[in-house]
Amino acid sequence: MQHDNDKNIAVTVMSKADAFTQAGKTAVLQNIHGTLQFLQRFPPFNQMENAHLAFLVEQCQLRFYGPGDSILKPSGGPVDHFYIVKQGRVVGERPDSTETTFEITTGECFPLAALLGERATRTEHKAAEDTFCLQLNKPAFIKLFALSSPFRDFALRGVSSLLDQVNQQVQQKAVETLGTQYSLNTRLGELAMRHPVMCSPQTPLREAVTQMHEQQVGSIVIVDDQQAPLGIFTLRDLRQVVADGTGDFSQAIVGHMTQAPFFLTPDHSAFDAAIAMTERHIAHVCLVKDQRLCGVVSERDLFSLQRVDLVHLARTIRNAPRVDHLVAMRGEIGQLVERMLAHGASSTQITHIITLLNDHTLCRVIELSLAEKGDPGVPFSWLCFGSEGRREQTLYTDQDNGILFEARDAAEAAELRGRLLPLAQQINQSLALCGFSLCKGNVMAGNPELCLSRAEWARRFAAFIREATPENLLGSSIYFDLRVVWGDEQGCEQLRQSILDQVADNRLFQRMLAENALRQRPPVGRFRDFVLTRNGAEKATLDLKVQGLTPFVDGARLLALANGIHANNTLERLRQLVIKAVIEPLDGAAYEEAYHFIQQTRMQQHQLQSRENQPYSNRVDPDSLNHLDRRILRESLRQAQRLQTSLTLRYQL
Amino acid sequence: MSWFGWLRQKTPGLDAAQQQRLAQLPTPCALGDASLRSQRWVVLDLETSGLNLNRDQVLSIGAVVIEDGAVDFSQLFERTLHRADSRLRPSVLIHGLGPSAIAAGSDPVEALLDFMAFVGDSPLLAFHAPFDQHMLGRALKDSLGYRLAHPFLDVAEIAPLLCPDTPLREAGLDDWIHHFGLHVGERHHASADALATAELMLILFSRARRQHIDSPKALQERLGQWRRRKHAPSF
Repeated sequence: MQHDNDKNIAVTVMSKADAFTQAGKTAVLQNIHGTLQFLQRFPPFNQMENAHLAFLVEQCQLRFYGPGDSILKPSGGPVDHFYIVKQGRVVGERPDSTETTFEITTGECFPLAALLGERATRTEHKAAEDTFCLQLNKPAFIKLFALSSPFRDFALRGVSSLLDQVNQQVQQKAVETLGTQYSLNTRLGELAMRHPVMCSPQTPLREAVTQMHEQQVGSIVIVDDQQAPLGIFTLRDLRQVVADGTGDFSQAIVGHMTQAPFFLTPDHSAFDAAIAMTERHIAHVCLVKDQRLCGVVSERDLFSLQRVDLVHLARTIRNAPRVDHLVAMRGEIGQLVERMLAHGASSTQITHIITLLNDHTLCRVIELSLAEKGDPGVPFSWLCFGSEGRREQTLYTDQDNGILFEARDAAEAAELRGRLLPLAQQINQSLALCGFSLCKGNVMAGNPELCLSRAEWARRFAAFIREATPENLLGSSIYFDLRVVWGDEQGCEQLRQSILDQVADNRLFQRMLAENALRQRPPVGRFRDFVLTRNGAEKATLDLKVQGLTPFVDGARLLALANGIHANNTLERLRQLVIKAVIEPLDGAAYEEAYHFIQQTRMQQHQLQSRENQPYSNRVDPDSLNHLDRRILRESLRQAQRLQTSLTLRYQL
Repeated sequence: MSWFGWLRQKTPGLDAAQQQRLAQLPTPCALGDASLRSQRWVVLDLETSGLNLNRDQVLSIGAVVIEDGAVDFSQLFERTLHRADSRLRPSVLIHGLGPSAIAAGSDPVEALLDFMAFVGDSPLLAFHAPFDQHMLGRALKDSLGYRLAHPFLDVAEIAPLLCPDTPLREAGLDDWIHHFGLHVGERHHASADALATAELMLILFSRARRQHIDSPKALQERLGQWRRRKHAPSF
């Protein structure tokens, strides 16, 4: 009897399969149609063929679960249904705790991993409120899996495929606006299409230049017998030879080349090359594989396609003759960021580049100020704190900086400070002109309290750790992300080491920092979608920076300081925490992805605001995001919540 | 028996195949003691040409099945009935079935036979069931000479019975949909209303189990008590 029943079901499935091949001919039932339309609002259903989707709906059952009803549980044996939430909310609870691990709402599906793994679910799925689910039996799921590739991709990759979709969307937009597939993630091997132009060290200069001219290239690489690069000769070097006037073009090129040229492998990305060029002020990067030259990538190769001339911009900044030139260039940085975002650059890449260009601007401002006011004759290091210290700046940033110098005693320190302060104040003002707004809290080098000798800084930092007042805790969250932008780095490293030693020893301070890190709660409720603040008549919004990024930044800082990690950058801190086994690799990866996504959303928002001439703001209305972004944002904020929960446990708060 | 024979002879224009289908329709079951979940239910909604119980006609039938505690999308029923003498009347604004849709509909005899085969021996649920029961019964009698004897339960009574705390009086389907926050699509058709009613019933079955009303029979009995209590003060 049971057997017959099974056969019946199989037959029904078959006949339905045949039926939907002719689905176009017969009218679709109203209720099937209505459910189809509902599903088509959500991925992956919005990418599936109508016939496949109709098949899915016809095989579905609609079930209701009251609040607290268990839908699936670990003791229930291998899962034999696929669920789509039609309405309501499903939450996941691990057997060992009542902590909500995930939340599934309208249009979302579960439990993919258990279904594909033919096992029971590891998490109990409960209805959090009145909930309707469409339930698809396993034979139909398998059939659909075989028929529909969007469905298969989705099932196999779960939420990570959603992230891929976002990236694809971004890239696609870039392709639409700029008509090219080019991206900063392109392998260099793919960019350097041409055979490299090269010659031996003994080649006469004239012959080498002729070769460059014939091949229409700006550089020639000098290689040994094994084709390993020995040096590079570029048009710039040629200019030098001509300008010197001593040039004898029958001389061997070896005497005029730049030795030991910088190289990368063909597997490095265009981004890597752009960064190398910007940092090193070079216009050509050799590609070397197995110690043999296999290509050359020029600045033009990198940027001609997207007309984003990062290297040129960096060089112009470093050579700017006056501060007002730097001011004019800030606008170009904005355009650069815009284009990079359009090209699908990630938020990490963009913050990295902004930091790099800001560092160049800062160094140039210091150089120009020294030239103008005269060198005070005191070696000093320019420190920056906060987001600048963490290399996480966006375009809109204010100054957080200070000066570090060496002094024998208090008297000498006071004397040196007196000589440095006028210069520091001038630098602060010039930076303000360049778009780094003056710090409202006066965290600036021109403030006598922030122009200190190493001993004074050390005393100040020790006090932060010893006396955990609210002001000191706030101070530590700014100052402990310190970094040298200009000048000697050694003094700063000594300060950092002593901070790390003291924090590692001071469990109480760690606990206070942990409490501090919990102040900003990510705006997702345990049983709600987003928890938003409403300000008068304004729309309910959430603050991407304070409520989204700060929990990661604070959490990573605390764990890094407590575990002797020198890195400042939040993502770098997370990576090192994974290496030191302080956090699980899976958690680290999830935090990184989440942080990244929130930052990306924030930057896109800033770009949009600047395009529309609106004041820039970190507040976003989740309803203004598309469905996919909204959902990922919610999951990302939930990761921030998990990080905070882990701090609560770690420090028993 | 001869009485029924006499009745059947009066039924107009059923051909031999239709007569055979009519004869094969299962007899309805009374509501039993088995669990609510194991009972197959048919949730029904009709569009009619108006609200006059004696004169107006059934124009379309929409029905969904609740089986094993869930709405089964592979068992959906939806027919518009062909009515030759359909004239444009104000109710077209409510049911949305224009003369052309009705002219293109199925032969009422076939549609009703299909529907009763779809129902089988299952009990029926509808919102304001007495109306649907009466209209369907009259259509079956007129077209097939068939006497509708299936148990009908009224969702408009079950809802207030199981949700006594709800301050809804004489509430319509829309009120209950709103009360439970049901997301229903566009409801321009009997079948969409039937689905909405069925979703409401899924919630109500869940409430019934929490109140230890475990079988269709128990539900029917509680409905009887509730109805008597409701009418008691007027005596």
